[in-house]
Amino acid sequence: MSAKGDLIHAWSSDPLVRENGESGGAVTALLKFALEDGMVDAVLGVRKGADIYDARPVLITDPGEVADTEGSIYGGTLLLSKLFGKYLSGAKDLKIASALKGCDVMGAYEQAKRKQLNLDNVLMIGLNCGGSITPAMMRRMISEVFQVDPYSVEKTSMYKGRFHVTYGGQHKDIPIDELEERGYGRRSNCRRCKMKIPRQADLACGQWGVRKDLVGRATFVEVCSGRGAELINRALEAGAIGTDIPDASCIKARKRREEAILNLADRWRERDFTPLSGSKERLKEMIEETSRCIKCYTCIEVCPALFNTTRPYVTAFPGRVPPEFGFHLLRYSHVADSCIDCGQCEELCPMDIPNALFMHAIEADLEELYGYHAGEDMSRPYISIMEEPRV
Amino acid sequence: MIGKTEFIPTTCPYCGTGCSFYLVVRDNKVLGIEPWHTPPINEGKLCQKGRYAREFIHSKDRLTEPLIKKDDVFMQSTWDEAYRLIVEKFKSYKPEEFGCLASAKASNEDNYLMQKFARIALKTNNIDHCARLCHSSTVSALSEVFGSGAMTNSILDLQESNCIFVLGSNTFEQHPLIGRRLILAKKRGAKIIYADPRRTPTARQADLYLSMYSGTDVSLLNGLMHHIMENGWEDKEFIDKRTKGFNYFKETVMKDDYDLKNVSKITGIPEPDLATAAEWIAKSKPCALIFSMGVTQHTVGVDNVKSAANLMMLTGNIGKPGSGVNPLRGQNNVQGASDMGCLPNVYSGYQKVTDVRSRSKMMSLWGVEEVAGGAVGYTVTEMIDILADEPGRIKCMYLMGENPMLSDPDLKHVRAALENVEFMISQEIFLSETAEFADVVLPAACYAEKNGTHTNTERRVQRWRKAVDPPGQAKPDWLIICEIARLMGYGKQFPYESESQIFDEVAKVTPSYAGMNYTRLENPYALQWPCPDTSHPGTQILHREKFATLDGLGLFTAVEWKPPAEVTDSMYPLILTTGRSIWHWHTGTMTRRSETLDAEVKTGWVEINEEDVLKLGIEDGDMVRVSSRRGEIKIPARVTEDIKKGEIFIPFHFKECPANLLTNNAVDSIAKIPEYKVCAASVEKIKG
Repeated sequence: MSAKGDLIHAWSSDPLVRENGESGGAVTALLKFALEDGMVDAVLGVRKGADIYDARPVLITDPGEVADTEGSIYGGTLLLSKLFGKYLSGAKDLKIASALKGCDVMGAYEQAKRKQLNLDNVLMIGLNCGGSITPAMMRRMISEVFQVDPYSVEKTSMYKGRFHVTYGGQHKDIPIDELEERGYGRRSNCRRCKMKIPRQADLACGQWGVRKDLVGRATFVEVCSGRGAELINRALEAGAIGTDIPDASCIKARKRREEAILNLADRWRERDFTPLSGSKERLKEMIEETSRCIKCYTCIEVCPALFNTTRPYVTAFPGRVPPEFGFHLLRYSHVADSCIDCGQCEELCPMDIPNALFMHAIEADLEELYGYHAGEDMSRPYISIMEEPRV
Repeated sequence: MIGKTEFIPTTCPYCGTGCSFYLVVRDNKVLGIEPWHTPPINEGKLCQKGRYAREFIHSKDRLTEPLIKKDDVFMQSTWDEAYRLIVEKFKSYKPEEFGCLASAKASNEDNYLMQKFARIALKTNNIDHCARLCHSSTVSALSEVFGSGAMTNSILDLQESNCIFVLGSNTFEQHPLIGRRLILAKKRGAKIIYADPRRTPTARQADLYLSMYSGTDVSLLNGLMHHIMENGWEDKEFIDKRTKGFNYFKETVMKDDYDLKNVSKITGIPEPDLATAAEWIAKSKPCALIFSMGVTQHTVGVDNVKSAANLMMLTGNIGKPGSGVNPLRGQNNVQGASDMGCLPNVYSGYQKVTDVRSRSKMMSLWGVEEVAGGAVGYTVTEMIDILADEPGRIKCMYLMGENPMLSDPDLKHVRAALENVEFMISQEIFLSETAEFADVVLPAACYAEKNGTHTNTERRVQRWRKAVDPPGQAKPDWLIICEIARLMGYGKQFPYESESQIFDEVAKVTPSYAGMNYTRLENPYALQWPCPDTSHPGTQILHREKFATLDGLGLFTAVEWKPPAEVTDSMYPLILTTGRSIWHWHTGTMTRRSETLDAEVKTGWVEINEEDVLKLGIEDGDMVRVSSRRGEIKIPARVTEDIKKGEIFIPFHFKECPANLLTNNAVDSIAKIPEYKVCAASVEKIKG
């Protein structure tokens, strides 16, 4: 019997899923089991879209389709957190299981605090994530640095600090550090991210710490909640998954991996935040970068720390382009210490304004000043407003 | 239980950039728009029009049933009844009595069938569409001097430029995701030069802003070239090897009229700024020139574009990444509707109707004994003139989605024209200002309700994918055309059951599309024409080794500056120019029904310089009367320093204060494009 706090190796009992799924297909097996067993009504996930770099959200109600989802499209820089509130009535009368990266989980918590999502009805299978790369960057990096035709690539992965590319029976890998020094690699918010193992989900799953002989054939699972334990136990009982207990060396290796990548994140934070550390420098940078804003509302629409409305942000000068600086200040003040650094406001900005950098820099200061950690649990922020703004 | 929820990939229906996104769909409703990261043009990013492109889809104002006008009132009807009436009327007119307007908002499939129908069933070449009103001058000019009327380079390679000269294009507001490429180029160190009468959001990002008077483009371009040649900065090797006509051109440009002193007087741009611009353009290779309506919508539109082509040839900026002559096309499918042959002089792929071989090729591919004769048909501006001035010559108009009653110049004249139509069909998604004049209104499907392809500004052919059913009885345009054709006895020529079958025929008859099919277009990078065979990867940059002209050489043209058709005088002392706002699209049928966009900008305005208002006693927000020789409108004033002194600007989206009631319908003699960008006007405060 598993319980909260357990660490296990798990894999799918279905040989086909084990073969085709990532790391033994444990996540696929658990999602499929949750749907079959009636623990949930639907699964929200990501599947391969037009090609291997393309992620497309998918809502599944037929257990037979779960195997089509993908746990690890590194080019998949989608954030699922807001889809619950926008399209699934906030899971208020619907039970949903979902495979979620750290930023998805943190975003789900921030949406839940704002009553846009009922977390009681969301079974969160957390996925370890070392960061993701946009499809455009992925193609550029593969062709320019790896000197490989992006169309010929069968698989990409990030493992042990290196980016791996498999194509036409061949394999190349390059250290992520090196790629990023050369201006390629993960999104800048991912580089600063310290939510690599989302332990506030029901389960946290990934490959870090998997015993050598099981690499590629089993997933390392941390059981993070009673509900997570229940899922593991019922799936085990039903024969949907197989499990094993990792030994101390596995756990040590896992810790080492996590620490290494967290240290790297600290270095990136220092590098990114230092130029913004003086108040004048920060203000100047914000004013200059936002001067090309076209007021498309993307940064508001996609932010998991905001409500699903844009009305309050029309502000005093409707229609003005670029909008007055107050348009941005209002958003900064509403998001404040609730920024989870998911990067959406920057990645999707049509004018490439480094929004996430600014928001995250503000959040990091506020976190230091007032101690609130966004996205980690259901605690309330110190600065951000939790009531839906009225217009 | 929750209904099936799907993310349907598709392309934006608004501008010619061609951004992609997902429509989120459940229970036959579009619930939202979500980013699709992979397509290279926008990488998931959208401007506000794209982001809110779902808000009009399920509008209660959508047309849902055919309407037939009886005693001046529209009555709900059935398809059968409407078709019966249409077929009866179509059979009663002679070929020369028809006028057909296709649509740059509709798909390639819709447009291809529209021209095929006009040429086979109505036997007329009187078919045109709004490309006439935006870039016909570009197509005329570039076809002549380069051998192809299209954008020479691609959106993606703009960011490789070291200098981008933006002339008459408010790129940040009109093509925001192309504006982004300017920013990416600038971050790499490229210089941005911007010339426009208004200090627009694009001007704010420029390294050098040239504040010019509307209608002085040739003077500006000749001045820049004069200075370049005076300093010996021209690319002699390129001129020698790749071009002809240089000497005659040089003679014209080197006249004293085009020295910086004279050019400064005409354009209103300070001499040192002209000199700097010339030096940057000549010396920072590769340099790209971007232009739009500010260049094309003039009685000298063709001259303007030829002059732009001269500048890029002079500096050797053709055929390389980050260079080129780059007209930014306005509508999502204005390139495609032209490619499909919705023009009075060409079949698809610009195969001339006057060429006997083209005509017999089409007859054989279409399986008909007869098509419209070999004479070129009327352009839209000519159709409107004939309707207004020679009643009875054109009797029947078939419109697919066009709204000339707000979009064409001199609306009084357009009204007179439309009132003279004997029988008019308007195929529309909303009852537009123009549809009000129709005898039969047919409800059409919008972009989210049909499959198809459209071709963006850089010749990239991308897919639309059906997400939901059309409302009520509405049908896709291509299907309506097929059904009418079948009732007229052309079932064999219009047998299609799907959009992909139509596209396969397009590929068969159109050399530049020959290598394309729906399977290949599933790739999110899609394909750019020319794509002559199914193994061809498409063409990002035109004219790499040689031009598409018969002898492979680019043609320099000697172009003299001529003033606009209407110049200011004591009665009308201000230059009126028109354009768009980022929040709205053209005649506002879609965007004014989009809650988020409407909440920002609810009506029009006239921009006027803060010095010009001093003697007029006008303050910001005052209601004013703007008059021209053609009419007057009441409109709120926006007093600003961001417009050149002596000029005023009005956006043309708003029917309650329509800029086009004032504009001049004088046209370019070759391209027949009207001079939307300059006329003479006056402004006075409305008292009380």
